[in-house]
Amino acid sequence: MRLRQLAGTLAAGLLGFSVLVGGLRAQSTLDQSPQSSADYSAAQQYNLANAYARSGKSALAVLAYERARLLTPTDPDLRWNLHRVRESVGLPDDPGSWSEKFGRFANPNGMYWVGVVGLALGGCCLLALARPRRARFRAGIAVGAVLGCAAVGASVFNAAATFPVLSECVALQQAPASVSPVAGADTLFTIPAAAIVRRLDRHGDFELIRDSRGHEGWVASSDLAAVIPESSPP
Amino acid sequence: MKSYGLKTWSALMGLALWATLAIAAPSGTALQSIEPSTIALGGSAQLTITSIGSEMPAITPPMVPGLEFIAVGQSQQVQIINGVTSARTTVTYQVIAQQAGVFSIPSALPGAEPVVLTVTRGAGSAPNGQAPAGSAQAAPPQPSSSLPADSTRQGASGAAFVRLRLSKHELYVGEMVPVDIQVGARDGMVASLNGPPTLNGDAFTLSKLPENPSRTEEIVDGKPFIVFTWHTALVAVKPGALSLTMDTPLTVRVRAPGRPDGGFFSGSGFEDLFNDPAFQNFFGASTQRDVTVSSNPETFTVLPLPTEGRPADFSGAVGKFAVSSEISQDKAGEGDPITLRMRVSGEGDFQRVSSPMLQDADGWKAYTPTVNFKPEDEIGYRGEKVFEQPLVSLQAGTRTVPEVHFSWFDPATRRYEQAHTEPLTVAITPAPGGAGALAGGLPASTGVTARAADSGAAPAWRPDHPDDGSGRMSSLMPHYFQPAYMTAPPLVLIALTTVWFWLRRAPRSGEATRLEPFLPPSVEALGSEMDEHAAAGNVRSFFGVARTALCKLLASQWGVSLPAVTTDEVISKLGSDSEITRVFLLADEAAYSNLKLTPLEFRQWKQIVLRQFSDGQLS
Repeated sequence: MRLRQLAGTLAAGLLGFSVLVGGLRAQSTLDQSPQSSADYSAAQQYNLANAYARSGKSALAVLAYERARLLTPTDPDLRWNLHRVRESVGLPDDPGSWSEKFGRFANPNGMYWVGVVGLALGGCCLLALARPRRARFRAGIAVGAVLGCAAVGASVFNAAATFPVLSECVALQQAPASVSPVAGADTLFTIPAAAIVRRLDRHGDFELIRDSRGHEGWVASSDLAAVIPESSPP
Repeated sequence: MKSYGLKTWSALMGLALWATLAIAAPSGTALQSIEPSTIALGGSAQLTITSIGSEMPAITPPMVPGLEFIAVGQSQQVQIINGVTSARTTVTYQVIAQQAGVFSIPSALPGAEPVVLTVTRGAGSAPNGQAPAGSAQAAPPQPSSSLPADSTRQGASGAAFVRLRLSKHELYVGEMVPVDIQVGARDGMVASLNGPPTLNGDAFTLSKLPENPSRTEEIVDGKPFIVFTWHTALVAVKPGALSLTMDTPLTVRVRAPGRPDGGFFSGSGFEDLFNDPAFQNFFGASTQRDVTVSSNPETFTVLPLPTEGRPADFSGAVGKFAVSSEISQDKAGEGDPITLRMRVSGEGDFQRVSSPMLQDADGWKAYTPTVNFKPEDEIGYRGEKVFEQPLVSLQAGTRTVPEVHFSWFDPATRRYEQAHTEPLTVAITPAPGGAGALAGGLPASTGVTARAADSGAAPAWRPDHPDDGSGRMSSLMPHYFQPAYMTAPPLVLIALTTVWFWLRRAPRSGEATRLEPFLPPSVEALGSEMDEHAAAGNVRSFFGVARTALCKLLASQWGVSLPAVTTDEVISKLGSDSEITRVFLLADEAAYSNLKLTPLEFRQWKQIVLRQFSDGQLS
């Protein structure tokens, strides 16, 4: 009987340990990837964007600002300068959806760990509350359960608000949006430089995009840059 | 004796005359008649040309300026009497009058007499009971604008018409006038409209025509028409006495003319069949023809804009407008942009409404304004144009945004009007270190920023952030969406689920745990208690204590409750030869009999019982 208890405790401990080790190994694996030379940081991207803005490269400035905003979405300096660059090229501020406006309140990587820890904390506290003979710490355990659930909810909300960024692209120059993904196709409309569009599909060297007005068309891939690059930054 | 009336005698005389003519004209006879001989403009008459002879002549329609001839039927009768062939060919034309006057229609065949057709402008008999053209003009619903009674000009043989409806014929250069362009199509005679109406001449510009015109039904000259109406606006671009017409391309159906030359079936009996009007009508033997229908010329007097009293800031706007203004915020930091917004609303050509807004205002840096027009109708005649101009105050304190002027020409009052916005006050708080200190530089790619840079008035840009190299990462992809990290939450959930299942098993083993307090404190205590009963010679109590202790032991080891440990259960599990079974049996016997044991037997049973606890193994 005591052997079973010991086995169960060991299994739970091993699982928790594997979670931590797995997370740390994932972190170390990504950090030591061949692309680790492509370092990103909020300050670096922000300063890069300022440099682009000074040199008149508004589209690249918007791209770098958006990348910095992904890491520090609440930075007031970043938001202000981004507003100025967009205003300088005649683009209004993108109000975004309600979830994007309020959901991007912190660094998503930090919020990821908050969610994982909250899940563990909340789960353990809920399990402890299910046991009848822990009346002495019941209030504290309840608080821990609430905090854990709140952390999980905040993390999920942040993830949902960050998800649209995966498909966001910045127009590097004024580009025609065509009716079909072939060269010489009829132009439906034109997206201005530095405009942010959403990528819906890809066919060859063309991307199917949707602009802020909801218009859809095919744009050459060379005219777009993803906010979250697939490989190394430009 | 029966008396015959005048009509009967006339018919007989006519028949005799026809027979005489037919017999007395071996080389052929031609007749030509028109009915009625007087029609109203826009009406039609029927011209009948008849040839009687041994041969079927080729009949071509007459050519008369102002009249249009459309072949509507041809018939032929052939008789062979005593080897002599007699043919009677009749061709019928519908004559459409395109202008008023007296027309002489020449003979289409040798020997036929010319006929005269009188076309009146308003009064005249109409064929087939049709109403005169003048009375038909009252039938269509009149739009809000005035329309001359004779402005409907039918074309394409009465199959369609184009007309304009507008409110005024005297206007100024640049003045926008709403106009309705109506195209009437005779149901069944117009196959298709091949395009929207187009403007003739370069003295006017037309606003964009709606893609879907409104559609109504109307009776014109007693004929049903489907009328398509485009609501649009007209703008004169140069002064003078100008004329305007509209053209509309369309396809009309006309009946196929007869085949006078016979064609492939010439000389055969089929030719008569194919040329018979009944055959053509039955099989819809009509042809389509692309035509362009024009409206009646509309004359305008376009006046130039007066030079007297013209404001210096007049930008060409003509109409009736009102001006208002507002500021985006009444408090701002030094270097922060605020937006001055001017609204020009009213009616007129808003393409001519423009304003430079503020320029060179003292203490303000003004940027290029943006313009947004919100039409209130489909042609943009009424609406509101909003000018938004970013401003940056170059000084702190309570600042006043200067007034903005706007001028236009009002055709109703025939003079220039001028309006200005109210001065607006803004509180500008000084920026720490000044706006220029905050500016890390300016992008110079746009006109807006270039203007600011040229003047040295740099709007506030936030400086660079210190980058100590911390917090760098190799990928911008958030952890949420990286496969390596996506495994962590499921692992945590698996761990929690495992613990939950483990905890569910705990109550089952808890029952055994709850039995532990019933166990004797120690083997020594049990032995001493048994010694006490042995010394007293109390066999019942001796085995009672032993049985109770063994029950607790067995209940604990078997994982059952205490009452479940009975003698029968012990026998079934341990067998009848087991020492514990013998203890249970002796305990039962001592409880109901006067069992006696020697001191040696007490010691032996005590050792047996205590050995069960010391060994931990059931014997």
